[in-house]
Amino acid sequence: MFTLLNLTNMITTGIAVLGFIAISAMFLIWWERKVSAHIQTRLGPMRVGWHGILQSVADAIKLLLKEDIRPAGADKLVWWLAPFFVVVPSVMAFATIPFGKTLIPKDLNIGVLYILAVSSVCVLGVFMAGWGSNNKYSLLGGIRAAAQIISYEVPLILSMITVVMYANTLSMQKIVESQSHSWNILHPNLALAGLIYITSATAEVNRAPFDIPEAESELVAGFHTEYSGMKFAMFFIGEYTNLFIISAIATTLFFGGWKGPLLPGVIWFLIKTYSIIYILMWIRWTFPRLRVDQLMGFAWKFLTPISFLNLAIAGWLLL
Amino acid sequence: MSGLIHLLNSHGLTEDTIIKATFYGIAGLTVLFAFFVVIARNIFHSALSLAVVLIGVACAYLYLDTEFLATVQVLVYVGAIMTLFIFTIMLTADVHKKMSLKINPRVLLSAYAAALILIILIKIINAGPWLPEVKDAVPLDLAQLGRSLMTNYGLPFEVISLLSLAALVGAIVIGKTEKK
Repeated sequence: MFTLLNLTNMITTGIAVLGFIAISAMFLIWWERKVSAHIQTRLGPMRVGWHGILQSVADAIKLLLKEDIRPAGADKLVWWLAPFFVVVPSVMAFATIPFGKTLIPKDLNIGVLYILAVSSVCVLGVFMAGWGSNNKYSLLGGIRAAAQIISYEVPLILSMITVVMYANTLSMQKIVESQSHSWNILHPNLALAGLIYITSATAEVNRAPFDIPEAESELVAGFHTEYSGMKFAMFFIGEYTNLFIISAIATTLFFGGWKGPLLPGVIWFLIKTYSIIYILMWIRWTFPRLRVDQLMGFAWKFLTPISFLNLAIAGWLLL
Repeated sequence: MSGLIHLLNSHGLTEDTIIKATFYGIAGLTVLFAFFVVIARNIFHSALSLAVVLIGVACAYLYLDTEFLATVQVLVYVGAIMTLFIFTIMLTADVHKKMSLKINPRVLLSAYAAALILIILIKIINAGPWLPEVKDAVPLDLAQLGRSLMTNYGLPFEVISLLSLAALVGAIVIGKTEKK
């Protein structure tokens, strides 16, 4: 039987998540432009609203009105579906992100695995975009993205497993509970895992210094070179939603989630998450881009062995 | 809202019926895409269809209340194996050429093998009861799963990893270019 409560719950949760994603993505785009501008001693967007805060809204309207151009040799269906494969998984990943004590769409008992599984589908969209565009820059961007995501997924998962071993659970909410006394990042073993996580997560979302899949100087814009209008906007929303998700996972796994004194949980959660995003932006606009071989070498010859070692030490300590 | 709920309930539309209704849609799509994997003229389309099939199988696991299996299915097959498949396809030459339907020169032999497999499958399916008595799903205890993988099923688990290792080494040997 349907009841009023579960139906309204489902609908309001869906609307809340979608609304949050849209607002958060627009805010992050504006913020990234401001941060990058100030790092480069510029002002960034200043004209639309206070310090250009409405710039993203203006951009969104512009992108909505733009012509949707499809390259002549494109693989129609694949090209058309690609943006959805990038955005839908990132929306689905929100299902197990704990914003507060009761503010979680669904606390699955396999929460960590669920997020990993759902966000691993995103790479299919990148492939489809790269391949369907019938453009060599897009194809190269797609191949690079694939190589990078496969490589960095290994240390990423290994570092998350270390946290799971200490917390003895896969549920996001229980991992937060396990940090009631002190944050995981303060534990030496887990601090290393946290560092590995942040590094490989940066690579997973293709941000500098790991942004070779969309290296502007070599590949124009990588896999989304040929996209325009709203489809391009969807790739952008996907990218910034993924940025939010990896930071939210970092908050949950290493920085005590929504726990904190005085302020309500959701405020703490957002403060922590956006601080991590700020650090990632700072890194992006400070470090130069790595070469392809350096990037691969770093993942396989440094991060992966170290995260295996860390996992082994965690196992030894726990036994 | 209450009108909608009343409408849904008065037509006997419970969550159970909706679950059943969506199951046939998803199962049908899975089979359809499995067919596309075989008949697609383009190897990239085949790979993408295979990814959809694997997601469909994960959905089937969800209908069986085994969320863990479904998640692992997506993580391992779609996230890792399909990514590697597509990566390899992208590295092959002429990926953009529209490939025609490849007719295998040994089409008769393959048909014979397929028919044999079909007969074996029919025999196996007929051996057991069709639609066995379904017990209520027990929520999966992850701790117990992990423990049994390490104790009772330790040996098969290790054998499988040995097999993967052998495949890995084999791939490296094949892929290695001779230095001259």
